This record gives sequence, structure tokens and C-alpha cells, in this order.
Amino acid sequence: MTRRIFPLALCPLLFVALCLQPSALSEAQGTLDRTKQPPIGRPAELRVPSWTRSKLSNGAELIVSEKHDLPLVSFSITFLGGGDQFEPAGRRGVASLTAAMLNEGTKTRDDEALSNALQLLGTTVSAGVGGESGSISFVSTAAKFAPTLDILADMLVNSTFPPEALERLRGQRLVALNQAKAQPGSISARVFPRVLYGDAHPFGQSQTEASVKAITREDVVSFHRNYFKPGRALITVVGDVTPTAIRADIERGLASWLAGGKRPTFTFPSLTAPRATTIYLVDKPGSAQSTFAIGLPGPPRNTPDYYALSVMNTILGGMFQARLNANIREEKGYSYGVGSGFAYGKGPGPFRTGGDIVGDKTDAALVEFMKELRGIAGARPVTDEELRTAKESLVQRLPATFASVGAINGAITGLWMQGLPDTYYQEYGKAIGAITGDDVLRVAKKYIDMDHLAIVIVGDRKSIEAPLKATGVAPITLLDIEGNVVNGP
Amino acid sequence: MKPLARVVLMCMMWLAGVSLGAQNAINIPFETYALPNGLTVVLSTDRTAPTVAVNIWYHVGSKNELPGRTGFAHLFEHVMFTGSGHVPYGLHDRLTEGAGGSNNGSTSNDITTYYETVPSNYLETMLWIEADRMGFLLDSLDLAKLNAQRDIVKNERRQRVDNQPYGRVYEILSRTIYPSSHPYSWPVIGSMEDLSAASEEDVKNFFRLYYAPNNAYLTIVGDFDPAQAKAWVAKYFGDIPRGNPIKRPAVEPVTLASGQRLVMEDRVQVPRLYIVWPSVGSKHDDRFALSVLGAILSGPRTARLTKALVFDEQAAASVSAGQDSNEDVGEFSVTITPRPGHPLTDLEAAADAVIERLKREGPTAEEVQKATAGEELSFVRGLESNLGKAFQLAGGAAIHGDAGYFRTEYQRTLGVTAADVQRVANKYLTTGRVVLSVVPTGQIDQASKPAESKRVE
Repeated sequence: MTRRIFPLALCPLLFVALCLQPSALSEAQGTLDRTKQPPIGRPAELRVPSWTRSKLSNGAELIVSEKHDLPLVSFSITFLGGGDQFEPAGRRGVASLTAAMLNEGTKTRDDEALSNALQLLGTTVSAGVGGESGSISFVSTAAKFAPTLDILADMLVNSTFPPEALERLRGQRLVALNQAKAQPGSISARVFPRVLYGDAHPFGQSQTEASVKAITREDVVSFHRNYFKPGRALITVVGDVTPTAIRADIERGLASWLAGGKRPTFTFPSLTAPRATTIYLVDKPGSAQSTFAIGLPGPPRNTPDYYALSVMNTILGGMFQARLNANIREEKGYSYGVGSGFAYGKGPGPFRTGGDIVGDKTDAALVEFMKELRGIAGARPVTDEELRTAKESLVQRLPATFASVGAINGAITGLWMQGLPDTYYQEYGKAIGAITGDDVLRVAKKYIDMDHLAIVIVGDRKSIEAPLKATGVAPITLLDIEGNVVNGP
Repeated sequence: MKPLARVVLMCMMWLAGVSLGAQNAINIPFETYALPNGLTVVLSTDRTAPTVAVNIWYHVGSKNELPGRTGFAHLFEHVMFTGSGHVPYGLHDRLTEGAGGSNNGSTSNDITTYYETVPSNYLETMLWIEADRMGFLLDSLDLAKLNAQRDIVKNERRQRVDNQPYGRVYEILSRTIYPSSHPYSWPVIGSMEDLSAASEEDVKNFFRLYYAPNNAYLTIVGDFDPAQAKAWVAKYFGDIPRGNPIKRPAVEPVTLASGQRLVMEDRVQVPRLYIVWPSVGSKHDDRFALSVLGAILSGPRTARLTKALVFDEQAAASVSAGQDSNEDVGEFSVTITPRPGHPLTDLEAAADAVIERLKREGPTAEEVQKATAGEELSFVRGLESNLGKAFQLAGGAAIHGDAGYFRTEYQRTLGVTAADVQRVANKYLTTGRVVLSVVPTGQIDQASKPAESKRVE
């Protein structure tokens, strides 16, 4: 194969001309000391997007942020509160099922007509409801914004929830729940929160075969009627728009979406009394790997310790070369990747560390996890180098937060969701910069309580139980794949 | 300004597609040049955010390996992250992720690529690292380090291929479609035996030949000063010597004279059916119509196979169809996962009925329009990412000899007609295909037409 740099005949000329540019070559001559790491230049100043706020006539809040370099628009409606606040008891799963049903047809468009219209616009409208928020959103070219918004409005207001579509989606969901029973990661994701929070706390609950089977069309219609309301909604528009014109477009496009609804209060049942550190072993016969989840309930997002916790977690398990991965993957080779993190939100979301571990290293890996947790909580003080790298890593991630219209939308909407000030991103660097090694140690001791950890391990009991016992780390309780205690041998 | 310089400048602007005041969003302004040692450089500035993406493509993949010596290209992808002559292990991560950025690499049949995204003030540091591992990797590579990476790759093979449900499917399909000496017949990850048998010198010779500047494409996209970047590129890459001439493997297109039916047992919960036709590689224009054909067959609920199998008959949990183009060859495939109680034999027949009708009648103009309507949005969204642009430019330069190939690609995709789709469907979706059933262990009878299927493992 001949390698052509330019597709044109005249290019060899250009080629030579550029190669001979003296300025470009001068530095290559003479001796280059490659052992010397180049200087890191001055960091560029952070450019935080700005935005305007207003209120629509139906009561929804509106935030508009202009970005004109490309003809793109990111549009979202975000609802405060989610399944944890709005799902009736015994009906876990109705929130996400209702969101999925918004694609199944409206009073004037059946499901295929909706799909066809969006395909011709070259875009998709996504809807979803999570634990504490929900959204309906799209990204379009600027030219296709208004017609796409019309379709979103139709889905939001005029959905008909056909019974046969509900049965189809229910069937798919039951199959997925069944397949999840075979996946260690899905088992861990269900059992770990249940162990931490119990059945009475929304964080301990999830949709089950029973709850999915129990959901009726009336449940869906009623969830839709009560939940998707402007009174608890923020509309965020980012991209090639101007606030005045876009506001008029949105008022017109969402004219049929009538006022109503209010913000939920976020109250959570008190946590069950913490239990002494225990290994909860879920048997997955024949599994070549053991899936680890170690942790305990953590603080809400509005904790004043947020910045110190961010630095602490970055050092412990928030990067590739963080302590956990450097040790357990890179040095010991027990895993392809381990990490740690806090699930911040309105309530006491969990701190969790874990990953998939090679089966016959389950015991050895547990010892290393515990060593690293004790280490960050004081046994191995954080070095100045670790502190500096973690802080730089956190602060310098910010530009990527604003790299696309979708990312900017998420960054702005996240502030609203968690009640953070508009100046948050400008102040972030200073707040992280102020964190000291003592701060890191204080929050590690405070939030990583070594005496009250839940250690959930999903793996092949036959081969890992005895070695785990021999570590002497903690007593073992056997659970089934739903997280129920198994009695007997 | 000297006349030559002015010609060069005008030429540059033209080649770079600099749109002076044009409203056309389908563009990536770029300039490209080469160092005397053969390194191709592509620069594209975007000052929207203070970040920069560095992407280097080596035009080497598993197809450059020889039978009995497979897996080297991918092994090097691992070795490249273990430090080099002047850069100790771990520093690369610290200077990327530790600076709020990221790094990674990937290997295919055709290419091996490495990339970083970093704050723009780290650009010089990234060029220092990339040049060091191009020019001085072997200085720090000894047998112990090589063996450690060999073990990691073998573990990766166990986890991602041998231990993964349906993980061995692509190996079986490749060795069925391509004859055993064909460069696309062996898997990118290679064989355990070959990895074990490789001598230190074998491995080093592979590196010396293929990781030379004349086989590399360096792309820088983002917030930087082009003159400064050129100076740094010359400083760090300029004195790395050109390598020996590379003889590329002769890759013949393949067709299958007759259909092949296979069945494989695997540790899976649910059976799955793969139907694969040899088609064309990325240099053949039929791939555009084949991609549109894939979008007409599967995806949204109105796509033909999705509508028939998943929605109307509700016999399949999922179905996907699409064209996969490597540099020299490609395949068109249909994958069907059944719902409980629906035999693969029935699903194959149902899929064939849909495909035969499409071959007979062709798609409607609206179907083609729907399949391509998302192209503009996805292209413009791709422009939001420095790394995405770097991949477009580098891929064009490495595979098509034209960093501006993205424009051709876009225009050809939008130019596909219903007649094109009907023509390629009839030309490639013939009886010369492989039908592979993957069934739970011990349940061969769940295959499509089990009596006619040959067992493979």
C-alpha cells in the first residue's frame, strides 16, 4: 500500500515546504534530554458557562444557557423526586415502567407514528425516572428543535398507555429480572443496599417479580397523572438558542402542559442500628469470579464534608492509580479493576468499594481491601504527593464537565437538583484547594467505620467460604440471591 | 510574503477546508503534514474548552501477524502502558488521570491506537510520553516485563473470551468465513500457544518494524497553538529514525460457495442465532448502502426485522443487523435472541422471509430517509468531542490516506438510494453464508435445523 498524505498532485510541494520550516525543526537538533519531564504550562482559566433563569406560565422553572459554536440544542425537563418519593408500596417499578410507556402512543400518534416522526427528525426522546428524580429529554439540531419539542409535549401530555404495550413491557421486564439472577453484578447491586438499609427504607427496596406483576394499567395512568407536573420541574435548554426566543418556543410548545404539582419533601426513615462488621456471602455455584461490595450508609450530598470526602475517595479508589486499584489490580493482579465511591443524593446514599475478583484470590483480596480501608482511615497517612494529585485531578476534570451541550445541561441541572448555588463551579477549585491531609484523615475516620461494614461477596461458596473464614476478618452470614438469610448449612 | 509561502498558505486553507464564514457545520478544520522520518501529523484547533486530545494510530493490527505468531499487536498495546526508556511506569496515569484527563488504547485487525485527553497545558508532556514509547519502549522492556504482560493478556483472554457467554463466537465465525492462511482468520487477542511460544527477539522485531514513525499517524485536536505544537512534535518525534519498509499482507476478498451451518454449545442461559455474510471492507463504496440496509432491518420499532420478530410476532427478545467494515474485508450479520418457546429454526425462517421480501421489493424511499436522517445530528454531536474528531481525522489519514475522508463518508451515506440498498441486499445477502447457533450446553436440539448443523467448539 502506498501512503498518501494528501489526495492531490500538488501536495509533494507543500509537503516539502512544511517539512523544511526551520522553526519547526530547530529544537530537534542539538541534544534533547528525554529524561527531563517537560514543564507543565500555566493552566488555562476555567470557563464556566453562564445561564439565565425564569419561570414559565405553568410554573415550571426555565434555565437557558447559550452555546453557539455548533447548531445543537440539548433540552430536558427534570422532575424533583422519583420512585422513592412517588411509588406506592408494593408497586416498585411503576415509575420507570410509566416512563417507558411514554413511547407507546398518544391520542393522535400510535407507537409507530411516534417512532417514524422522531426518526425523520433524526433524533430520539428519552424518558426515565430514578430514585430521586426523573426526566424527559432530547438533543437535536437547532433547526429541528421546535418539531421535536412538539413530539415531546405530545408524549408528556397525551400518552394513552395501551394495555397490550404494558403487557409487552412487563414481559420484557420479567425476562430481564430472571436473567439478572444469573449475573453476579446484578445480584450484588440488589443485595448490598438491602443489607445496608433493610426493607423499610426506600434505598433497600427495588422492583421484584412480585411488584412488576402487581402493577396495573391504573397504577401507570395514575403515576403519570400525579408525577409529570410543572410545579416540580426544571426545564434546561443549552445550545444554539437565545433566551427570549426559546422561551416563546417553549411556552408555545408546552401550552397543553397545565400547572400543578409541587416539590416533594425528602424525608427518609431512620437507619437501622449499625451491625458489627459481617461478611454476607451469596452463593453463585461455579462462578470464576467473586463480586465484592463493601461499605455502609454515607452522608447526603449537602454534607459540609463533601469536598474533603471527594479528595479522600479520589486517593482511595477514584482513579486508576488510586490506592485500591494500584494494589489489587496493578500490583497483585487479583482483578481487572477495583474502586470506591459515595452515591450522593438527597438521602444517606451508600459508600461502596468493590469489584470483580479472581475466584481463588477472594480471601487475599479481602485482606487487601481491609488493609486499604484501615490505611486511609489512619494506618497509612496520605502523602503530600497523593493529596496534590487528587486535588489537581478533581479540579482539572471541570472543563470536561462543560464539553458538550448535554454535559453542560447535566452540570447545571445537577446544581438545581441538589440545591447548590449558581456560583458552585467558580468556587469549586478554591474549596478543593483548601482541603488538607488532616481533613482527609478526619472524614475517612468519620465515614469509614471499620467496625460496622457490610461485606457482600457473591461467588462460589464451595471454594471461597473456608478461605474467607480463615482470614478472620469477620463472621460469615449466608444470604440467598435475593438477600434473605439462609439458615442451616 | 514570498510567492511560495503564499501558495502554501492558500493550499493549506483549501485542503484544510477552512470555511471562511460558511454556515456549513459539517466540517472539521484541520491541517496535515509529515516529518522527514515519515510521521504523519494532523492538527485541528478547537478553543471551546481548555483541553486537548492526543491520538496516535499505528497502522498495525492482528492481520500483520503471521500464523503461529498471533497476538503480538494486542500484546504491545499492553506493553505500551508499562513505561518506556525515560518515562517510569505509573507516570503516564499520573499525568493524565491525575490531571483530570484520561488515557487508553485499543487494537483491531487493522490498527493499534493510543489516546489521551488532558488539560491543554499538558500537551507538551503528552508528546514527550508518546514519542518516548515510540522511540524508546524497548530500552525498558525485558523478559520479566514481557512475561508479566503475557500473563495479563492470557487472563484477559480467559475473562473476555473463554469465560464470557457467547465470547468465542467471533473466533468461530472468522475461521469459518476466512481460509486458515487469510490474515483476518485469526482473532485479535491471539492464541495462548503463540503467546507462549514468542521469543523476546520475535516480539522486539515486531515492534521495530511496525512502531516506527513512518507507520504512525499523530493527531492533536483542541485548545493549542499550532506553531507551538509543530515545534514540540519536531522536538520529540523528529529524531526517531524511520523504520524499514513494511510489506502489507495481500488480503483477498472472500465469498462462500455454499452455506455453512454450525452449532456450538456454551455456558449460556438462552440460545442465540448468528447469520453472517462476507461483504466488503471500508474502502469499498458498497459499505454505505450495506450500513443503511442494517438500519432499515433493525433498530427502531419500525425497522423490518425488529418490527416483525420483536413487536408483531414477539418471538424474539432482540434482533440486530448491520455491516461491520474492517480495512480490507467486512461482514454483514444478523443476530437474533429468541423469547422462551420460540425455536431458532422458526426465527431463521422468519428473518429470511423479511430479508427475501426486501431483496425482491426494495425499501421505500421513506425507509432510506429515516435511516439516514440521524446522520447530520450524530456528525455534529461528534464535533463536540476533541477525541471524536481526532479519531475521524486519524482514521481517514491511516486507512484512506486522507484526513478529510469524513466529508466523503458523510456525503456517500446521505447519497444512498433505495435502489442501492436493494442492489447490495441481492449482491451480498446470498446463500453463501454462515449460520451459527449457540445453544446451552447439552441442548444441541435447540439449534436452527440441528440435523444439518456441524458441531464446533
